[in-house]
Amino acid sequence: MSCCRSASGTSLSPGRCAVILDFLSAGLDVFLSPLALGLTFAGIIVGLVVGAMPGLGPLMGIILLLPVAIGLPPVAAMGFLIAIFVGGSCGGSISAILLRIPGTPLAAATLYDGYPLAQKGRASDAIGIAITSSAIGGLLGGVVLVFCAPILARLASNFAPPEYTMLAIMGLFAIVVISGGSIIKGLLAGSFGLLISTVGTDSFSTGLRFTFGSHNLLNGFHIVAVVVGLFAISEMAAQMMKRDLLKIPDVKVARPGLHTISLTLRHYVNLIRSSAIGTFFGAIPGAGGVISSFTSYAVAKAAARPGEEYGEGAEGGVVATESANNSTVGGTLVPTLSLGIPGDASSAMLLGALLILGFIPGPAMFENNPDVVGGIFMVYLASNIFLLVAGILATPLFVYVLRIPKVYLIPSILLLCSIGTFALQASVFDLQVMLAFGLIGILFRAADYPLAPVVIGMILGPILEANLRRSLLISREGYWIFLDRPVSATLVVVNVLLLVAMVYLTIKRIRSTTKGDLAKAMSTEE
Amino acid sequence: MEFIGTLKGTLLAGAIVVASATTALAEFPERNIEVIHPWGPGNAMAMSQVVAKAMGEELGTDMPVISLPGAAGTKAQTTAMGKPADGYTIFDGYVAPLVLQPILGNADWNFKDFKPLSAAVANAFAIAGQVDEARWSNFEEMMAYCKENRGELRYSSGSRNNLPHMVIAKALQSYDCVAQNVPYTQDGNVFKDLSSKVLDFAFVNVGNFRSNPDKVKILLVLSELESSKKAFHGAPTIGELGVDLGLSNLGPMGWTWWIVNPDTPDDVTETLRGAMERAMARQDVIDAVEAIGFVPLSWDHTMYEEIVGGVDAQLNSMGNALAWEEKELKKLQ
Repeated sequence: MSCCRSASGTSLSPGRCAVILDFLSAGLDVFLSPLALGLTFAGIIVGLVVGAMPGLGPLMGIILLLPVAIGLPPVAAMGFLIAIFVGGSCGGSISAILLRIPGTPLAAATLYDGYPLAQKGRASDAIGIAITSSAIGGLLGGVVLVFCAPILARLASNFAPPEYTMLAIMGLFAIVVISGGSIIKGLLAGSFGLLISTVGTDSFSTGLRFTFGSHNLLNGFHIVAVVVGLFAISEMAAQMMKRDLLKIPDVKVARPGLHTISLTLRHYVNLIRSSAIGTFFGAIPGAGGVISSFTSYAVAKAAARPGEEYGEGAEGGVVATESANNSTVGGTLVPTLSLGIPGDASSAMLLGALLILGFIPGPAMFENNPDVVGGIFMVYLASNIFLLVAGILATPLFVYVLRIPKVYLIPSILLLCSIGTFALQASVFDLQVMLAFGLIGILFRAADYPLAPVVIGMILGPILEANLRRSLLISREGYWIFLDRPVSATLVVVNVLLLVAMVYLTIKRIRSTTKGDLAKAMSTEE
Repeated sequence: MEFIGTLKGTLLAGAIVVASATTALAEFPERNIEVIHPWGPGNAMAMSQVVAKAMGEELGTDMPVISLPGAAGTKAQTTAMGKPADGYTIFDGYVAPLVLQPILGNADWNFKDFKPLSAAVANAFAIAGQVDEARWSNFEEMMAYCKENRGELRYSSGSRNNLPHMVIAKALQSYDCVAQNVPYTQDGNVFKDLSSKVLDFAFVNVGNFRSNPDKVKILLVLSELESSKKAFHGAPTIGELGVDLGLSNLGPMGWTWWIVNPDTPDDVTETLRGAMERAMARQDVIDAVEAIGFVPLSWDHTMYEEIVGGVDAQLNSMGNALAWEEKELKKLQ
């Protein structure tokens, strides 16, 4: 089925494709101005920087620069903000790969293979793959945005609380896949994440949960403070224990090259699949990039060929997570532009900017302002191309960080973490949360518990709880609502099959491990 | 001696210049002024950024807007009022944390406890139903259906215990209609689930309606103002209902009045008031606020007690419509 449809999504025809090309043509005219081009490129640089700094991220970048953007011509303004969104969604991978610290929660899944790949002496390759995957994933998301926005928006409209509930349960299965060594430890860490997500005000009863009389806890813990604490503080503590603080690292900084593009394209199936997952999750308001990157990683790992050692520096792991989280940006713009419903907090700010600039997102904007719609399409596509160019050129600069002796690097990172975390809400309490979760991260590492499931649990917990309770309030027949709706019923079946498969594979693995241990013990006795 | 005299004179002059410069530097504001916003990122925050930017330009400083959502805005208000009373923290005082939550017993302050700067903006809500609804054709018919089928209908006011919830609950109570409220954290998802027929009716704001005017049918505008009626394409207002909800002017609407800590020095407060009033009078600010779907308000601080006090009295006299709704729903379980 062709994706080409009108803005209202009513008909399929080559003529409608021509309409979309007219959008792009009109948009190109507006976009090809020095101001729009320059600001889009500047936005990518700003995005990469705020993304790479632990604590900050694309949302913070957009919030900080929105007052500047609203004084600019529409397409230049949106180019600047969208480029920050695109660059920021990728920037978090740089610190994840180099320092084992996700710059944003979006890059938490990139740690799994990005950091081990860098430790193998392939830091430049890892960053190059991350940037190329992000750019190509973003472009694929952009193609969907341009050609399939109405269809995807209609699909997203059919996702109601029962479907969100089932998707959240599906997301929790990712914990089992990514836990690697011990599923039990992964599940316990995920449960811890679910537990801490309950802290704050219950939006259904307006009751307070685990707030202990502190107004700082009325909205729970800020996810970024938790992620920075869990990953950055504990990693810096681990680095300090290595007793090589004064050593000048011998890191070879490769020159920027296009070979990482071919390295990435080798994983084209993974790239397309993960981009599709990312675009899909982006198009569903409220799902978001973190879920899409973990889900893509879990799917890529499950589909890995023998020899692809996921978790130990597999290129495919970086491709999956980074293509997914950047294609989510394109997906997020689908409901934002087509329906006027923001997909996440960053796109909510973009929506606000569009309104201030005098444009009302929705079907009418496609009819009345084709140049602006086309211009936004163009800036999004161009942002991803600029990301590829700027990212690859700047890779040696990023990798140079690894040559800084730890005695300087560690305090600098801790300072940046503190500044970034404080800037979230100008709150000292967030710094305390960061430090507390840093301690928890150190304990988790000492006991060999994975950290990423905590993030998954914390993000999926509110989505699962709120949508389960919402579904039951909407339902007039209790739990049957999950089977009454076709999409929800399909997801129930998929979840049951996934559960059965995982239980079966886990039992099989335990049995084979036990048999192996037994055989080993017997041979030792002989 | 002459040299020493010249030196003394130079030093004295230097000291005077330094002292004058220091005095000038000490004039308010010396640094950024924070605006604490009680909701998450979105249209309302973008709107506050517009006002803050203009006000910052009037004061010659930056005014970053910090989002602190949680507990119907009370987290932000508690945080803002806990900061030093030096004028460097302003609270974006929406009706929910400022007036409604104290009425509901969720906050221990009164609107009179704060120093007002100026009114900022208001936004109107409406009750919308599905486009091709066959069970009723207008609000009063919907109420009649609801009365006959108690507990069958599902609606959303966005968050629970917010202003739209209170106003809708009062309207339903007036018609003895019992319906199940379904809380949502994102207004966009309310609109989506209404247009895809998951909900029977829901509150919508001007922004969501303007993006997709054909996807829902406006049944009742929760405001008497002509500008609100116009924003919802001429739909009936609460003033045209057969019952009196006891709400007028800003009573049923969302609005924000920027406030500061009551201990803020008077001269600092006056500086902030002047800057905000000048900012709110600027045409670029008015245009931007209207573009987002909000209504700019032009009341200065002298009108605070009268306007906000009026809303406080109206919401207080609405009684416990929320408690009534909860009690009636429990009876049906």
